[in-house]
Amino acid sequence: MNKILLVVFFFILLSPLAHSQDFVYGDNSAEEMSMKKYNKDTAARAVVLNEYGLARISDNSEGNIRLSLDYHVKIKLLTTKGFDKATVEIPLRILSNSEEEASDIKGYTTYLDDSGNHQTVELDSKSAFTTKENKYWKTVKFTLPNLRPGCIIEYKYTTKSAALGLFPSWKLQDDIPKVNSRYDVHIPGFWNFNISLRGNLKLTKNTAEIEKECFSWYGAKADCSFMVFQMENIPAFVEEDYMTSPKNFMSAVYFELSDYTNPSTGQKIKVAKEWADIDFNLKRSDYFGSQLKKKDQLKPYIASVIAGKTDDLEKAKAVYAYIQKTIKWNKLTSTGSDNVRKALDSHSGTVGDINLALVAALSAAGIRTEAVLLSTRTNGFINKLYPVEDDFNYVVARANIGDKTYMLDATDPLLGFDMLPLKCLNDQGRVMSLDKPSFWIDMVSLSKQRKSQTSAYDLTLQSNGKLKGTITTYYNGYDAYEKRTAIKKFNTQDEYIEDLDERLVKTKILSADITNLDSLNLSLVEKLEVEIDVYDNLDHSKLAFNPFFFDRITNNPFKLNERNYPVDKGMPSDDRFMLTMHLPADYVVDSAPQGVAVSLPNQGGKFITNFVAEGNTFTFSNVLQFTKTVYEPEEYPYLKELYNKIIATEKAEIVFKKK
Amino acid sequence: MKLICTTVFMLMLATLAKAQPNYDVSLISKGLLPYASAVVRSEDVNTEVKDDDNTVYHIKKAITVMNKNGDDIARIVLWYNKTNVVRNFKGTTYNEFGKPIGKFTEKDLVDQSATASYSLFDDSRVKHFIPSIGAYPYTIEYEYELRSKQSLNFSDWTPNDSPGLAVEKSTFTFTCAPSFNIRYKEINMPGKVSIATTKEGLKTYTWQLNDIKAFKYEPYSPNEEDYLSSVKIAPQNFKYEGITGSFNNWKELGQWTYDKLLVNRRELPSPTVQVIKDLTAGITDPKLKAKKIYEYMQGKTRYISVQVGIGGYRPFLASDVDRNSYGDCKALVNYTQALLNVVGIESWYCVVEAGNPKVSLMKDFASMSQGNHIILCLPFKNDTTFLECTSQKIPFGFLSDFTDDRTVLACTPEGGRLMRTARYSPQVNLQTRRADFVIDNNGELNGSITTVFKGTQYDNREDMLDEPRSEQLKMFPKLYPAVNNLDIESFGFKQEKNILPVITEEVKLNARDFATTDNGKLYFSLNPLNRSGRSPREVRNRNTALYINSGYTDEDEITYKLPAGYKAEFGPLHVAIDKPFGKFTANMEISGDKLTFKRRLQLIDGTYSKELYSQLVEFYQQVVEADNYNVSLVKN
Repeated sequence: MNKILLVVFFFILLSPLAHSQDFVYGDNSAEEMSMKKYNKDTAARAVVLNEYGLARISDNSEGNIRLSLDYHVKIKLLTTKGFDKATVEIPLRILSNSEEEASDIKGYTTYLDDSGNHQTVELDSKSAFTTKENKYWKTVKFTLPNLRPGCIIEYKYTTKSAALGLFPSWKLQDDIPKVNSRYDVHIPGFWNFNISLRGNLKLTKNTAEIEKECFSWYGAKADCSFMVFQMENIPAFVEEDYMTSPKNFMSAVYFELSDYTNPSTGQKIKVAKEWADIDFNLKRSDYFGSQLKKKDQLKPYIASVIAGKTDDLEKAKAVYAYIQKTIKWNKLTSTGSDNVRKALDSHSGTVGDINLALVAALSAAGIRTEAVLLSTRTNGFINKLYPVEDDFNYVVARANIGDKTYMLDATDPLLGFDMLPLKCLNDQGRVMSLDKPSFWIDMVSLSKQRKSQTSAYDLTLQSNGKLKGTITTYYNGYDAYEKRTAIKKFNTQDEYIEDLDERLVKTKILSADITNLDSLNLSLVEKLEVEIDVYDNLDHSKLAFNPFFFDRITNNPFKLNERNYPVDKGMPSDDRFMLTMHLPADYVVDSAPQGVAVSLPNQGGKFITNFVAEGNTFTFSNVLQFTKTVYEPEEYPYLKELYNKIIATEKAEIVFKKK
Repeated sequence: MKLICTTVFMLMLATLAKAQPNYDVSLISKGLLPYASAVVRSEDVNTEVKDDDNTVYHIKKAITVMNKNGDDIARIVLWYNKTNVVRNFKGTTYNEFGKPIGKFTEKDLVDQSATASYSLFDDSRVKHFIPSIGAYPYTIEYEYELRSKQSLNFSDWTPNDSPGLAVEKSTFTFTCAPSFNIRYKEINMPGKVSIATTKEGLKTYTWQLNDIKAFKYEPYSPNEEDYLSSVKIAPQNFKYEGITGSFNNWKELGQWTYDKLLVNRRELPSPTVQVIKDLTAGITDPKLKAKKIYEYMQGKTRYISVQVGIGGYRPFLASDVDRNSYGDCKALVNYTQALLNVVGIESWYCVVEAGNPKVSLMKDFASMSQGNHIILCLPFKNDTTFLECTSQKIPFGFLSDFTDDRTVLACTPEGGRLMRTARYSPQVNLQTRRADFVIDNNGELNGSITTVFKGTQYDNREDMLDEPRSEQLKMFPKLYPAVNNLDIESFGFKQEKNILPVITEEVKLNARDFATTDNGKLYFSLNPLNRSGRSPREVRNRNTALYINSGYTDEDEITYKLPAGYKAEFGPLHVAIDKPFGKFTANMEISGDKLTFKRRLQLIDGTYSKELYSQLVEFYQQVVEADNYNVSLVKN
């Protein structure tokens, strides 16, 4: 499903220069004015009638080179729900020596009034507001006046940036449909970009031409490549539940700087071309390679941590726990670090600070460890057609001990050794080491991570109608991590148990014992002595009992009939439940549900129940397993049907009666 | 003699201790530790009015963070804008034993815009910071000044405003010239104010609180302001954005608002005046006229918020709204007033605290900062109608649970006037459902459902009506999640936009495998349409009263035609509970092949003693149990 296409161009020499292909501002056909619904998508709240962008690198009037984008769009607002499209936010970067700017904002709203007359109201350019969001970003916001269902809004603006390498991407697809979207780009030969197209829609026009000497700057001249990306009749993108980043599937054009020539010196600077170049740059960079090389500086920090330990795995676990405890994650995501030692000393750092410190510290302990660059689930899949460093937004450590590798993320003090947070289980990661070429690893299929829990209920029905006994639950893998996180939300274990007791309304927790809460690499075990109110008394000839009394599944999470994108669960899961019930001596089981066994195709998962009665004791068990991480749209109906079966099964009751 | 010596010595110790605060965590009294993620060791809030356009807050606070849950409670958050400026910020961090381990300054603060997500522009900003200390517990101590160029609004003193926060000591001092008169409101304060005069002749008002335990959020509890301690201050004479004024009560505050902020902002261009005259021509009933005009306003405008300076309190000109067709609550109310004015209908601009929990303006304490929204009142004879002007679709005269049942301030030409908005009673907020189902031998369900939504329950479906049909179709499985394999054959809605609006939903559906067949038995959920989910949690040692914010009534009746040849395995369901806060009945009857299920749940809004909370849990537990009832049929 990872549809990223490399855009290939055949350059055609053409002269004279093609003139601007922008559509005419303020020209609305009678058909557009009177349109009530968009025929290709009658549910659309709004439709982009036309959209045009012109991006280029050129000399501005003050003798500076700027990257500019002229944006122009015309949108038909069909219902009041579409009014959100009339409030525009332009995010602008605050760069170290200049700020990006938005200028020449103009726009209007036009509609036919109740008597059928054309009315047009201009956007007051004074009502465009600039807000400084934080150190790095500001926003220009404006909203178009006089909206009514059926109106057309049209606006244009220009943005200018000194960050020439950040060529604006173009979102062909949006959450409303588009009749036409066209993006023209002019790039002087001094700059080279890798261009990629995401999504599975096809461009209707995709051309490239050479423009002779279109760029000149203090005597330096260059030809430009002029490229057109155009798509017509673009459907709205509809998000589905349980999918990874919509970015993975939405049609858009992306640009990545590969190299450029400094126009004043003629010096050619390679930004990225081959992985070898990226490896070379990263290894020498202050924010990556230099940090990994700090192993000697980190030795004093970990000397006492590994003192007395001879086994490498023991050492690695100790160093990992030390970094987890010592540096608190400041909630910022990054792939590099200003200074890992500073992060250790100040006890605070970004993902890059923490995990590069971990790589360096493990290396200092004599363990061969690499950094793995990756893209989180919300950040989307990685473009693998050519090397793109900017697609990565996260870094973890990979320790090699004996013939095994261990994936480590020290940003969360509750993550066990060799466990990554769910957000990291996405696509592929690039393993970066100081002494070897980098290579890809699969973050999902190589992951041994899974969720697993097993509950054992041992209950006795007492003469007062209450059930008494123990509930023991073993949490393993990621389930243990999630449970630890939930328990640690409370100030103390007692407060957690009190909360649990208050939530389980008909259940009284008589005593509780939680083991291995802080031993992250062992199963977390929760053992509860409970008394459950089930029946007022035993004064009935027959009693019904639903074994799923705590967590009965009554709703199917998959409700739609069809699915367009994969269901992505991130990791396999395994839930087991076993109930042993002791009835009073004068009771026997009257009837019990039949055992059920349902499987997903290709061993994708299963649901099994089993019932065994012996005298006045019976056991009921079930297993729910999902062995895959991603289920393709073709597998969706089976997934949905599996849940149907679970819901049906969990309705069934066990009936027991007096002898 | 000996005794006196000891006293003197102890006094000296106390003085010394004051000079050098000791933040050793072991000194926190054990009684303050339960549920505390953070403990305020000492806090001094000083508010000084230096001039009518210069109020200086000086805040000094030391807070111990016990564990990672306390980090966010202790986070330093400073709101500011052009007229409220932060100065002289500095702080120190201490370890568990009270030993200083680091310092921080203003440059450590993270600065960002605090513009609300719904707002196009406002100038509010925030600086925030929490130091990173490797180990818990730790203590941060900091102080700063906030200079505010006005004397209309003063920050409330709320010493324990966050669950999980205990307080050893917090002091609030308000200082001003003796001529600067204030009114104050003490809420849940065990002690009273102490008033004194400084050497410089300034008047001081001081409040102090010691040893407040951390509170826990409790379900169905009243608004926090009703049970937490706080002090509010309001001026008599004040200056705000260059405008002066004076008030002692709501009447005077309303008068000032009318005179200084509202008057002369309602002029309309003459074409609009004509449109309104034409629109209402031939209508004689003023209420019908008002409805026509209101609906015109709704069709023309939308809500866009822009707040700059005095614009936070003063509406845009009606002519601006007329041109742009947008505005915030103030602007849209003022514009509606202007339109109504054309046909001579009087209307009042009303300040309200909007939101789902009902919050009233305090009858006995007038101040400018109590409301966050504006609605419009039409004071017809024998009929007071309120209008929400920021929604394009809400029915004329209906307030929903956004501004219902609370005290508001009407700003009239004759001064302020407290009024009460309509309460929607449990009987009014009525959802009635009638379903007729047939279950066949394979467990398939077929039938139809008709549901009528009234009062605030109108909102259960209102948003859905705006969705395209294809989206509505996708919403049904989420509305009726317990009908597995729901397949909607047809559906329709009928909307009656009255003052008490009504939506009627009609659905024809089928669902395969609705009933499970197993071992010659047939199981199905008796109540698949309206289930209460989980009962609220139990709360041992509850501190707050039982508070039900809004009441409602649900009535459901479902008939099932059962497949032939089956009979019920267990006796029918009969539940009837009657409590002060609610009533519940559920009944199942079988006659022949017809099973009838009737359910009625009513929750009655109000405040009840905290002892009743455990009964509410029990009540809901019985509701949940009845809702989960499985019908079990066996072959004859």
